[in-house]
Amino acid sequence: MTRLHRSSATALTAVLLAGLALTGCAGRTEPTKAPAPATETAKKPFEGVTLRFLGAQHPWFDTLKKEIPAFEAETGMKVNTEVLAEGNLTQKLTVELTAGTGTIDVFMQRPLQEAKQFEKNGWYADLNPFLKDAKKTKSDYDFNDFFQGTREVETLNGHVVGVPIVTEQQIVYYRKDLFAAKNVKVPTTMAELEAAAKALNDPKSDFYGIVMRGQGNPAVTQYSSFLYSMGGDFVKDGKFVIDSPEALKAFQIYGDLLGKYGPPGVLNMHWQQASGLFAQGKAAMWVDANSLYLNVADPAKSTVSDKVGYAMFPAGDKGALPYSVTSWGLSIAKSSKQQDAAWAFVQWATSKAITTKTQAAGNPSARTSVWANADANKGWPAEWVTVAKKSGEAGKSTDRPLVINVGKARDLIGEVITAAINGKDLAATAKDRNVKLNALLADENK
Amino acid sequence: MSWFNRSSRWIERNLKWVFTAPALLFILLMMAFPILYTGWISLTEWSMSAVEPATFIGLQNYVNLLAHDHRFWLSVWRTFEFTGLALLGETVLGLLLAVMLNRDFPGKNLLKTLFLLPMVATPVAIGMVWLLMYEPTIGFMNHLLKVLHIPPQPWLASEAGALPSLVLVDIWQWTPMMALILLAGLVSMSSDPFEAAEVDGATLWQVFWHVTLPMLRPTIGIAVILRSIDALKTFDIIYAMTQGGPNYATETLNLYGYNLGFGYFQMGAASSLLMIFFAIVLGIVIFLNWARRGVLS
Amino acid sequence: MNARRRVRPLWNLLYFGLLAFFFVLFMFPFVWMLLSSFKTQVQIMHMPPDWIFTPTFKNYTDVLEGQDFIWYIINSFTIAAGSTLAGLVLGLPAAYGIARAKMHSLGFTILVARIVPGITFLIPWFMLFSRMGMVDTLPAVILSHMLVTMPFIVWVMIPFFEGIPGDLIEAARVDGCTEQYAFVRIVLPISGPGIITGSILAFVFSWNNFMFSAILTGVHTKTLPVAIMTFLSYSEVNWGGLMAAAVLITVPVLILAMATQKYIVRGLTAGAVKG
Repeated sequence: MTRLHRSSATALTAVLLAGLALTGCAGRTEPTKAPAPATETAKKPFEGVTLRFLGAQHPWFDTLKKEIPAFEAETGMKVNTEVLAEGNLTQKLTVELTAGTGTIDVFMQRPLQEAKQFEKNGWYADLNPFLKDAKKTKSDYDFNDFFQGTREVETLNGHVVGVPIVTEQQIVYYRKDLFAAKNVKVPTTMAELEAAAKALNDPKSDFYGIVMRGQGNPAVTQYSSFLYSMGGDFVKDGKFVIDSPEALKAFQIYGDLLGKYGPPGVLNMHWQQASGLFAQGKAAMWVDANSLYLNVADPAKSTVSDKVGYAMFPAGDKGALPYSVTSWGLSIAKSSKQQDAAWAFVQWATSKAITTKTQAAGNPSARTSVWANADANKGWPAEWVTVAKKSGEAGKSTDRPLVINVGKARDLIGEVITAAINGKDLAATAKDRNVKLNALLADENK
Repeated sequence: MSWFNRSSRWIERNLKWVFTAPALLFILLMMAFPILYTGWISLTEWSMSAVEPATFIGLQNYVNLLAHDHRFWLSVWRTFEFTGLALLGETVLGLLLAVMLNRDFPGKNLLKTLFLLPMVATPVAIGMVWLLMYEPTIGFMNHLLKVLHIPPQPWLASEAGALPSLVLVDIWQWTPMMALILLAGLVSMSSDPFEAAEVDGATLWQVFWHVTLPMLRPTIGIAVILRSIDALKTFDIIYAMTQGGPNYATETLNLYGYNLGFGYFQMGAASSLLMIFFAIVLGIVIFLNWARRGVLS
Repeated sequence: MNARRRVRPLWNLLYFGLLAFFFVLFMFPFVWMLLSSFKTQVQIMHMPPDWIFTPTFKNYTDVLEGQDFIWYIINSFTIAAGSTLAGLVLGLPAAYGIARAKMHSLGFTILVARIVPGITFLIPWFMLFSRMGMVDTLPAVILSHMLVTMPFIVWVMIPFFEGIPGDLIEAARVDGCTEQYAFVRIVLPISGPGIITGSILAFVFSWNNFMFSAILTGVHTKTLPVAIMTFLSYSEVNWGGLMAAAVLITVPVLILAMATQKYIVRGLTAGAVKG
């Protein structure tokens, strides 16, 4: 009898133990190496601190990552980096910052896309106190070295919410060899752009005149340069005006280019697909951000790397007005419990020395001194640098409407772009979406 | 009586509760909070702000979705379209395949094993493979059409083609499972009615229609319920392949909820959508279950 | 319907032809994935496709060297095994209790876990787990996956336990055993096949889970499905690398499925055939 009872008790205990084991094995999850033996005598300021960095899959980070071990050795802190696809990054930031439990210290963000919402939600630590504190910020950091426009974008309600890390302008990538062979002029105006696309388009042999983003939401930023150059804007006098004659002309041009001379399936294309086609020699032109140039200029990724030309964005009715924007910034989470260490990391990652390295690796920075530094720019095609500088001077500092809910606004404008590419109901769609955009805006200003 | 004795008697008397309590407790702990939380947030307006707390607005989110949101109704329709088309394809093809497999031939077991692969393969990875195959310029599908002298299709890239293309992936993924379930149903059947039908000289089709199908109906019922739960909730494949695009053509309820929450920061609206979605799936399961019982009795 | 029907050669040809067609149809994406994983980007872009080519292993070395892939495999495995085991510990007694006492509404309650849309859980769970400092730890991820594995195990095991003759248990009780003892010593040992069935599919579902892992994993616990989504966005669409990653993720479950085929089929049909 007792044997039986003991067995049943054992079985239950086993169940309970299993339950305990389940919650008691957290220690197993630390794969990080034990802290390096303190061989150096110098005191490390952040010994024992573990920082968590959440970033986007981006070439800028690839370069930075190689430098992090040196930073860790110098400061004594451990930096855990986690890199995600853009969409997943936003989702993860949202979940973690909503919970507000201090799981994130430093993160990458897109100032034009998310900054207003994040600031409104109280997710950013204000960097001003750090910048003004001589004890926390090295004298050679020089925040004013960053382009004024990029600093303005990262300043909201008087708070500095991030440090600009990557800038970009919209340019035209074109196939030098084909333009020369067919004797086509490199476009300087919208009309020439369309003419070149038409002349080189050859769908029968699977070759297309031009490729750009065709997915509505992502295409909005690339449409912006067309809009500005035709004399339009997203918002004028506090109201959306994407149904203005100028905006409609710009939609028409964008839609015609892709609809008539673009590849099949363009409606599902983000920049990755678009650059892929160009890199595989299936399109004569690609219009997108210049910061992406390695995707078509790197021989490992591109079959046409030695045939790529770079041209300034073509002029519309109001001249050439491409966007010139801060695409990524580095921020500290307000809920972070180790902001001093976080600031030390941000300061290091955006210092002149590191920025020189990231720019030399192909990531256009926002620092004036680095652009003037020949060492940081010698790896770049001369034509690319000329075009980048010219675009930077002419450019507009935003590539999307500056509302809080950028995601929704982009979706609505993207729907008009889709209509333009499909070649139907453009004016009606633009009018309808403009009403919705204004409702959105009114809602935000309540 | 010893302590062991008493406690084990007590356990035995209350066995059904002692045995089920841990699982039930786990389910309640893991599900109750999220559902209550979502229910509460669905009655508020909240952008997930740490500064501005959620403001109670009653049923306004539900009213907005049900009465004013065209995109919501489109996503409801798409969810049903996707589920309906996928289930139709899977049931018909699965039935055909099951009947064909209900016969011995060399290599049958190997074939059954290989048919398992689509359903166990990781959806996110499978999504990537189909993305490559659907690629309009370099994908295999258009190459195949070219060989067959059919004009190339934009597949996922056109508003008209995207949802059917995703349905095709779902059918590819789940038809084998349907077939294997139905096959097990066929195998477990008594052979008497078939022999009787043969004696009567019935054609293959008559046997199928008048004997096989009615006998298989309960199995089909359960399989359809199981599949419809998962098909209504399909997320991974759509998220990996189209993220709801192009132009929302593949935005099902699950995707719209995701976009409202993580794209637009409208947590209140997203929560109310999730509650409605939950009610829809639950309703369908109860309805299908009721319909199935009705067929049986 | 069965073998005794007179078999005509033409009919046979049609039959096997159709079967072969289905076979090719369902296997093709795997073949394509495998072929593409050994091709360079340029070869992948080439149409009409090359069926015979010099394979490159660069995609695989890129994937394995560029990320901590081995670590992700270990994570995926630990999480899938852990959530399956824990699911068994909770699920087996529950299924038995439900089957013996015919508490079908309770069984339904547990199945509701399958019905709730997954995104409902994301933010609340993260709030809970981060307050407890459990984000990016195995227990948190395992607990979340248990919501997938445990109900499934219960679902498979209820009909299985119902199928065990009551006489067997009564006999044990006549001998003076308590019912819980009979469960451990008699019911569980003869339920081996059912348990294996439930475990394998629960393991596969956990292995494949993307949504819960995307939110609750971090550097220490990242799983394969989360890792492949990162790979997707890597500067351009590197199809060869993606396909190599897809092969590496899928192969373990494919092997598992092939090795345990008959159990899986039984699991799928568990609830279905009995009606």
